[in-house]
Amino acid sequence: MSTAVTPHLLEDTPLPPSAGGIYRRQNLLTALVTGVGLAFVGWLVSHAVLQGSHWGTDMVVTVTMACWVVGFNLGIGTFNAPIRWLAGHDQSDADLLYAAGVGQGARRYWKFCTDHKVVGTQYLVLVLILFFAGGGIAMMIRTQLITPHSSFMSPQTYNTLVTVHGTAMIVATIIMVTGPFTNFIMPIMIGAKDMAFPRLNAASFWVVVSAVPCLLAVFFLGGVNAGWTTYAPLSNQDPVAMDTFALTILTFVTSVTLAGVNIIVTMVTMRVKGMTPGRLPIFAWGSVIGSALGLYAMPAFFLAMVYMIVDRTTGSSFYVAAQGGTGWLYENVFWIMGHPEVYVILIPPVAAMLEVASTFARKPLFGYFVVLGAFVAIVGLSIMVWAHHMFTTGFAPDLNGPFMLTTELISIPTGLLFLCIVGTLWKGSIWTRLPMYFVYLFLWNFIIGGVTGIYLSDVPADEAFHNGMFVTAHFHYTLLGGAMIAAVAALCYWFPKVTGRMLNERIGKTAFWIIAVSFQVTYLGMFWEGLQGMPRRVAYYDPIFEHANQMATVGAYFLMLGFLVLLYDIIHSWRNGAQAPANPWRAKSLEWKVPTPVPLENFLVEPVVTADPYGYGEPSQPSQPAPAPAPAPALASAGTDEGPAPGGGEVR
Amino acid sequence: MSSDVIDEVPPAAPAEPKPFFSRSSGKILVIWLVMTAIGVVISLVAPHHLMPSMISEQGNTAIKTVVLFSVLAAPVAALVYAIATYSLLAWRRGSQETPPEDGPPLRGNTPLTIVWLIVTSFLCIVLLVWGLAELSAEAASHPGALQVDVTGQQWVWTYSYPGTGVESRTLVLPLGRPVQFNVTSEDVTHGFWSMALGVQVDANPNVVTTLQATPNKLGNFTIRCSQVCGIYHAFMYSPGEVVTTAQFAAWLRSQGASATAAVRVARAGS
Repeated sequence: MSTAVTPHLLEDTPLPPSAGGIYRRQNLLTALVTGVGLAFVGWLVSHAVLQGSHWGTDMVVTVTMACWVVGFNLGIGTFNAPIRWLAGHDQSDADLLYAAGVGQGARRYWKFCTDHKVVGTQYLVLVLILFFAGGGIAMMIRTQLITPHSSFMSPQTYNTLVTVHGTAMIVATIIMVTGPFTNFIMPIMIGAKDMAFPRLNAASFWVVVSAVPCLLAVFFLGGVNAGWTTYAPLSNQDPVAMDTFALTILTFVTSVTLAGVNIIVTMVTMRVKGMTPGRLPIFAWGSVIGSALGLYAMPAFFLAMVYMIVDRTTGSSFYVAAQGGTGWLYENVFWIMGHPEVYVILIPPVAAMLEVASTFARKPLFGYFVVLGAFVAIVGLSIMVWAHHMFTTGFAPDLNGPFMLTTELISIPTGLLFLCIVGTLWKGSIWTRLPMYFVYLFLWNFIIGGVTGIYLSDVPADEAFHNGMFVTAHFHYTLLGGAMIAAVAALCYWFPKVTGRMLNERIGKTAFWIIAVSFQVTYLGMFWEGLQGMPRRVAYYDPIFEHANQMATVGAYFLMLGFLVLLYDIIHSWRNGAQAPANPWRAKSLEWKVPTPVPLENFLVEPVVTADPYGYGEPSQPSQPAPAPAPAPALASAGTDEGPAPGGGEVR
Repeated sequence: MSSDVIDEVPPAAPAEPKPFFSRSSGKILVIWLVMTAIGVVISLVAPHHLMPSMISEQGNTAIKTVVLFSVLAAPVAALVYAIATYSLLAWRRGSQETPPEDGPPLRGNTPLTIVWLIVTSFLCIVLLVWGLAELSAEAASHPGALQVDVTGQQWVWTYSYPGTGVESRTLVLPLGRPVQFNVTSEDVTHGFWSMALGVQVDANPNVVTTLQATPNKLGNFTIRCSQVCGIYHAFMYSPGEVVTTAQFAAWLRSQGASATAAVRVARAGS
């Protein structure tokens, strides 16, 4: 962003008609047209060249879908700036302002927009769409399983739905907090005007959008039987849908990598004066630690899928046992991604939830550095535990002991997180607004998810439960009941800041109770299936599992109902909710000190930070008088807890 | 509270120093003990009730592990639940528009953190020692074990008994004799899994994975494929039965083994 422009004029700046250049003509529609067009060209060319060759069909599909991804991003504007830079003339200030959405009103949400708040909002909508699509698929899966031999769908369809459900949910949970809230909130929290690389930020969003049709294409290209883990060699047998599945992952990992680099650099370089590492809100730390772990983990997924595509399109044999390859290679590379990945999912929402707990207990975060240490310990251990997903594969029986050790050690830092959450509630003034409800639900669910994880870390018990519904229930307790419920707490907490409206609490609490109760019914039913010995990913089952399945299915229907009520609340409140004040929760971190809606570049006067945002119940520190009275209403200052106040000041 | 110079509201009086623990601790203790007791009872009863009846030492180990870990986890989980419950009973200040007055500024408690760390570390070590002991018991090799070759293919299991020429779709095992399964696959990865027998290992193409179990109870069980293996994965299961040694020899003969081979294989090592 240009610093030559006077900050508070940003949004009113009249731009010359030429500002933005080609950005003016680009939006989601041109992106779709370009993507489909280039995909068609790619199909024509590759089809003409490769027709009849042995691996031709896989190659054609791969080339076509890769062309779609490139074309879509070409059409939305992802490559505008690099192309212009390569051509020797960089974008002008007016171009940059146009790209930040100046003067475009609501249209900017359909465009390549570099404003981090627009990107955050776009992510929020995408995540909601992915969750409800994945949830809808879950309803179909549970409907199939309501009787032992249902004819609701074919096993091929069932397997594909299981695959897409898993993948959509994993993709959505990885971006559910770092996408919407780290993008929207974290820069404001640390006093930054935007992310460090605004164009990269917009790119990360549109790249992940272009991955979604690749995943949907799975339904139309024969389906994928192998589950979201797509173990080779089974996935090698799958039809060409597996090629677009692999491209989905390649595209998604690209997006996560761009976003991760951006988040880390933003935290390191963009902090405002006085925002020392020890004063950073824990959510900023959580976002950065989760993103850093993602930078380690996700490339392994990329690599696993590159091998997969090369095997499928050229007949190489990374995973083909008959030619010297092995599925164990795939499984190892996959889980080197797969276990750190659950902490990539978990750490940001837990950090967000700690902000919620502190605000609604009206107490400082208990054990700030203990939380930080626990996060770092979890990250360190999480990269050394992947083979606990492979205890029963037989690839290295002698390593079962060491991997059991590292896995069980993770329970120690996780236990510290519980201590800090409970310590934050201890003797607090518990303000039972909607976000706090979800903190309690998180505590309930995550204890169950954590304890059941300990059984699975023990090799003899894992031999009884592995690949069974017990595991499915366990990770839904941790990822849905834990991470996603924490993300819902974050959504309710930051909703007023993101949308400018208050979330209706009466509807929200109705949704809460439906979700809280039906979640237990669903997944305790699933634990029951697992304890009885029902395998995962089966379309039909032994009638001895019927009662447990019926319990899970009925629970799942109500769970979906609860989330639909929550969705209604979100949409209804976003459109018709009461106008939100700048700081409805009287919270102390910087995002609540800026006006709502947040102006472009967030702060009209740079704040100065003198304390961390957890000073609840502490005597006020003598603060220096404001250096100079500033006229703007949109001033970032400590102000009262009411929000922006006239007069510059210090933030504590 | 605000620190802003223009704030009209006088800053709150500094909170009086209060002890970290207080009378509420006694009530929490009671809730904790009750919840722990409930947790322990559930831990002792539920696994036996919900899991299938086990027919091998390895299966019993799985149940014992679940029971032990649940009992150990019960007080920890109950402590979190007890404090959460008590916080809602005693410290709730309603859901009005404006926040209640701030709570006490407790930013941490180092002795408590250290105690927590020591206790959870100790529990973790117990888990680990238990797990390693069970693991080494399982890994102990039994020289006279009955050999069974297990082959998975889409979507059936085949069991063959080397030395007898018997191939079967039913897994029949003699009581009380260690069995070694040599597991492989003809196509994709399958999972050889019987919960009642307490065994699970993948069947991989071009590789033989092995594991051992010792049936200790007569009865029927089911082997289910645990690794998704294609369209008919759900139908890849086969029946199993634990019989006496004499019945086992008779069964081998009925499957076409010669009399001498049947007796030799059935009785070897016993």
